[in-house]
Amino acid sequence: MEMNEDRKFGLEKSHGDHLSNRSSGVSADWQFNTPAMSAAPPHPSTAASLVPPLTSSPLLSAPVPEAFVPGLWNHHTMSVGGGNIRNTTSAIGSIPIGRPVAMSSKGMLLSTPPVIFPPSLPHFPADSGFIERAARFSCLSGSSFMDMNLLRPSQSVAPARKASKVVMETQVQNTELSMTGDKAVSLPAAYGSIDQSRMDTQRDRRSSHISNSESQETNFCEGGQEGNVDSSDVAGNSSPSDLCANKRKRTIRDMEKDQVQRGPQSSSEATKDDTETKYKVEQNSSKHGGKNGKDNSEAAKEGYVHVRARRGQATNSHSLAERVRREKISERMKYLQELVPGCSKVTGKAVMLDEIINYVQSLQRQVEFLSMKLAAVNPQLDFSVERLLAKNLRHSHGSPLSIAGFSQEMSYPQVYPSQQGLGHAGSSTMVIPSDTYRRTMMNTQLPIMSGYKEPSIQMHNPWNEEIIMQMDYDANHPPNAQEMNRKPDGFAI
Amino acid sequence: MKSSTRNPNPNPDTPRFGPSKLMLAFRFLRALTLVHRTAPNSSNAARSRRIQRAAFASMAYSAGPRRAWSRALLCRLHFHRARRRCARRSRAAGVPRRPSTTRSPADGLRRLVPGGTGMDYCSLLEETADYIRCLSEQVKLMQSIVDSVGPGGR
Repeated sequence: MEMNEDRKFGLEKSHGDHLSNRSSGVSADWQFNTPAMSAAPPHPSTAASLVPPLTSSPLLSAPVPEAFVPGLWNHHTMSVGGGNIRNTTSAIGSIPIGRPVAMSSKGMLLSTPPVIFPPSLPHFPADSGFIERAARFSCLSGSSFMDMNLLRPSQSVAPARKASKVVMETQVQNTELSMTGDKAVSLPAAYGSIDQSRMDTQRDRRSSHISNSESQETNFCEGGQEGNVDSSDVAGNSSPSDLCANKRKRTIRDMEKDQVQRGPQSSSEATKDDTETKYKVEQNSSKHGGKNGKDNSEAAKEGYVHVRARRGQATNSHSLAERVRREKISERMKYLQELVPGCSKVTGKAVMLDEIINYVQSLQRQVEFLSMKLAAVNPQLDFSVERLLAKNLRHSHGSPLSIAGFSQEMSYPQVYPSQQGLGHAGSSTMVIPSDTYRRTMMNTQLPIMSGYKEPSIQMHNPWNEEIIMQMDYDANHPPNAQEMNRKPDGFAI
Repeated sequence: MKSSTRNPNPNPDTPRFGPSKLMLAFRFLRALTLVHRTAPNSSNAARSRRIQRAAFASMAYSAGPRRAWSRALLCRLHFHRARRRCARRSRAAGVPRRPSTTRSPADGLRRLVPGGTGMDYCSLLEETADYIRCLSEQVKLMQSIVDSVGPGGR
């Protein structure tokens, strides 16, 4: 989990950098990178040599390049954003490499044929399966901003939008045909008119790099697409210019679906989706053209939601937005289906909704019932808590980790803590050893108060103000060994 | 008086990966002990009410301010609390009955999930998912507490 957070956070930074640099800067960066990278095959030494000049971010510390060399030359592409270094520093493994590789493959494609991409692809399954849901929902929620932007912008969307923007950027980069940062930004800039889309197409053509995708686009814009073999049906249906104009958008859209549907099988999925007629994506996004200048991130995120009308479907912008919305809803329903036990066989939205409602009601009733029970447990509760903590400590053997994680979590509110350490340290609930519990609590109370500066939007005061109760939290009740071997009977859900 | 579980959330950037179990446990346990400590003489019902509110509050805090439901839940809790602190005014007209001419499928869900009334369907589903996650975590936590206290808890 925490890898995800870091990844997303890093990507957010990188994306922020992209957006801040806008088109020229980013393309300059990319182009700066590409000749260097094209000159250097994935070679650790050369990559290491490449890293210093490209290191624009202070995060690219020395240990990181030595930490994992294979991902190095992916690294310096990320150094443009720089945020990913934190990712890799925090979680060095194949999974985080999936992201950096993804980003790097995006840069790679500018210069070299996507020979790198096959090696990076295997990372996606490991990566996508885990982050898929997050990516799915953040992208969906981000795209939901499109709807909500029309209806009623709410603050809850803002952070989701940001996350979605991050994920979107990731997903954009996740395929070989992903546009460069400037293109991703320039696409929304081409809102509002089809002429602009054509200009965009031509501009894309002109500024296209040596990537295969680009060449494919320019060569046969019928839909040789993403390196997939799904060109046939698209080829016949679309005009080249439109397809070229929309190919990137479609790739983004397909990327979204790919990411959602277990990325590496993108070919099959894209094939399925590519029974698409031409559609001026700008039509769909033209209604957001007015909002384009509002926010770069929003615009870039809008560029993510481009859709295509399927074959035989209305190409009305409304119906397409409706389709997007419906797909989002279906995705979330699926997720809810997994969440609610016993709903895997249920089909249909209505029945599913009823099940969900019943489940939520049952959960709330359980909370009420358990609170009644807890109210009755009064006298022993003080040291039962200690007992409980100690018992959970016994159950979880990662106590040092938990302590560290806990302290870290409390002390560094701005940085997402190693939640994973906490997560797997405890089977069900508390993992704080009782003896250090008080200590950590006391140690971390003040950092919490001082460190936490970010208020929620509406709940400013309650989030910030706090009187830390009972520093002498639970007196000195020693952990009672009576309950040590009681296994927490988590509710059998 | 509701037990004070207000605590600045140390995870402001918690994305949609569910609540932090640790923080949930931390907050809830603290709130629990506070409830038991401050008013040991109150009736069980009142205490259970408070405990329940504490549970929801700790849940909402653990979920973070980024979730709409947690914000709405805290709003509701604080509002109720403020209202109880003030003179017991007669309850306001309350929520005017929504003319349910068209029964949208999400109505029941909107009523259940805090803050659900102001959302569109997509966000509602997402918030529901998160809410369910947090609720189940809370239930597990409470259940384990109850279990750890044991049958001789009284």
